[in-house]
Amino acid sequence: MNVDELVRDALRDQADGQPPAAPGFADRVLAVRLRRRSRRLATAAVAAVAVVAVVVAVPVLDSGKQDVRPSGGVEQTGITAHPDQSPPRDLIAAGRVALAAYYTTRNVEQSADRAVSERTYWLVNPGTKKYVKDDRWSYVAVAPGLRTAAVLERELPVPRIGLLDLASGQVKRWIPVDRPVAGVEFSADGRKLVATAYSKNPDRRVKIDGSQGWDAPFMESDRTGFHVIDVASGSSSWAGVELGGGAHNPDAFLNSRQDFGFTHDGRLAWSGMATEPGKKFYDFTGKEVPAPALERYRDWFVDAGVSPDGQLVAGQFAGRKWKTSSFVLDARTGKQREVRGQQLLAWADGNSLVAWDIGQDGNEYHQRLVLVTIGGEKTTPLSDFRSPKDNTKGRWEPVFAER
Amino acid sequence: MDAEAQESFREFVANRSSALLKTAVLLSGGDRHAGEDLLQNALIKAAGRWHRIDEPEAYVRQVLYRQQVSRWRLKWPRRELTVAELPETGTAPDASGAAELRLVMRGALARLTARQRTVLVLRYFEDLPEGEVARILGCSVGTVRSATHRSLARLRALAPELAALGPAAAEQRPARDYSPVEVRQ
Repeated sequence: MNVDELVRDALRDQADGQPPAAPGFADRVLAVRLRRRSRRLATAAVAAVAVVAVVVAVPVLDSGKQDVRPSGGVEQTGITAHPDQSPPRDLIAAGRVALAAYYTTRNVEQSADRAVSERTYWLVNPGTKKYVKDDRWSYVAVAPGLRTAAVLERELPVPRIGLLDLASGQVKRWIPVDRPVAGVEFSADGRKLVATAYSKNPDRRVKIDGSQGWDAPFMESDRTGFHVIDVASGSSSWAGVELGGGAHNPDAFLNSRQDFGFTHDGRLAWSGMATEPGKKFYDFTGKEVPAPALERYRDWFVDAGVSPDGQLVAGQFAGRKWKTSSFVLDARTGKQREVRGQQLLAWADGNSLVAWDIGQDGNEYHQRLVLVTIGGEKTTPLSDFRSPKDNTKGRWEPVFAER
Repeated sequence: MDAEAQESFREFVANRSSALLKTAVLLSGGDRHAGEDLLQNALIKAAGRWHRIDEPEAYVRQVLYRQQVSRWRLKWPRRELTVAELPETGTAPDASGAAELRLVMRGALARLTARQRTVLVLRYFEDLPEGEVARILGCSVGTVRSATHRSLARLRALAPELAALGPAAAEQRPARDYSPVEVRQ
């Protein structure tokens, strides 16, 4: 061990051992500030005795009543920010969620008219709290708790799902599936996986007439359905889902990758669509069911989804009150509020979200992770800005998980 | 400060004070009360210009670091943690004695000057590159380099138990600039 490593260890150890700031710290600061200002004013106005008598009276702050604290108090809502890092090297976290992994994409040409958009992942090591490159996987979902990830090997779709131990980097178990899959997601409690099955690689890219680069195939879907897998036992059920009017029906087409996910309560699967009504819900046999009451306003392309208590839904870009802002909707009534943030990514607690947001250069593609609070004016940067250029190492995509 | 600003300030403090306090306590050599004072003063400064600050966290951190190394802070009563002796370590710690080594290091860090400690906290706790440390402290990169070099040397002098440790990268480079750490106010 080098002396600088020990300095680092000792400082981190000492920092980790610090109890959180006492509740009411803000009130204390404001009270001291008022006292100091009052003293300064009192000195300046020493001749005006009547005024001094008023000014030196220090109002007693009503501690607690106006204290706007995210639910759970200070300790549970700790924020680990690295506003100087992009892509991040050290764990970024806010409240209940952590940036569990991130990936970059690049188009790997396979022939003159075919390519595959491949992801390269960096996964958090829960021991060192650093992100480590792991290029074995084409798709990764991290389970709540940041200890296990579900991983899919290269060459999608694949016939098995790995359960990766994030600390050791070893696959602890393989779960075979009888229909190959290309996407996977954990339920909120981490007990189940929903794996989306495709007959061809949904990340393939083609040349479309009139386009310079590689594009996802338009109005082509090879999605066949989904497996729901019990993580502990590895047992699974299969749900075949028709494409709804055929792969080439313009009224019901899907994106080439259009994965299934779980509803907030984990009882149903759902998936977005490129046309109205924008999403469909299914039971685990693949039968279409009506939208649950609290998920009606959910958009599949807004990653944050439903709030932890199920009462709010993260919505689309708003841009009314601020240059970049997003809607947050009441899950029951659909009533909109605006919150800072260009794109809402994950709920940090019942009142705050992690979002992408732009900087002072105004470039809508030059974004960094920030923490935004409903009803709040300020944003807290969590990372440095990512590159605006697609398919480069500097343009990373986040993967969040509950910690 | 109007009611809305106060609410926003409270929200910021509720969200960020625990993380900021960690840095403040490290800067104060492990003295919790001194760390709280340091953070309190930085937050008071921030509250005074709340409407004009775009990034409160960056602002408060900068104030913390500069406050800690600046001379005018000497006007306030010092609450440096005085450690008469380093913690007992028994026999020389081996590989299994990592925890003891950390304690020895903690004691030695507490005995550095505020400036020396601040440079180490910025370099090794915040993991900032030399250029960024220089920008925050308002000094040259050479000054940061030499201050790091001297701080590590001082740690070794304070705690002979650290003699067995390998040199840091910062110690392997010649430190050219031995001028004192300058601070812009």
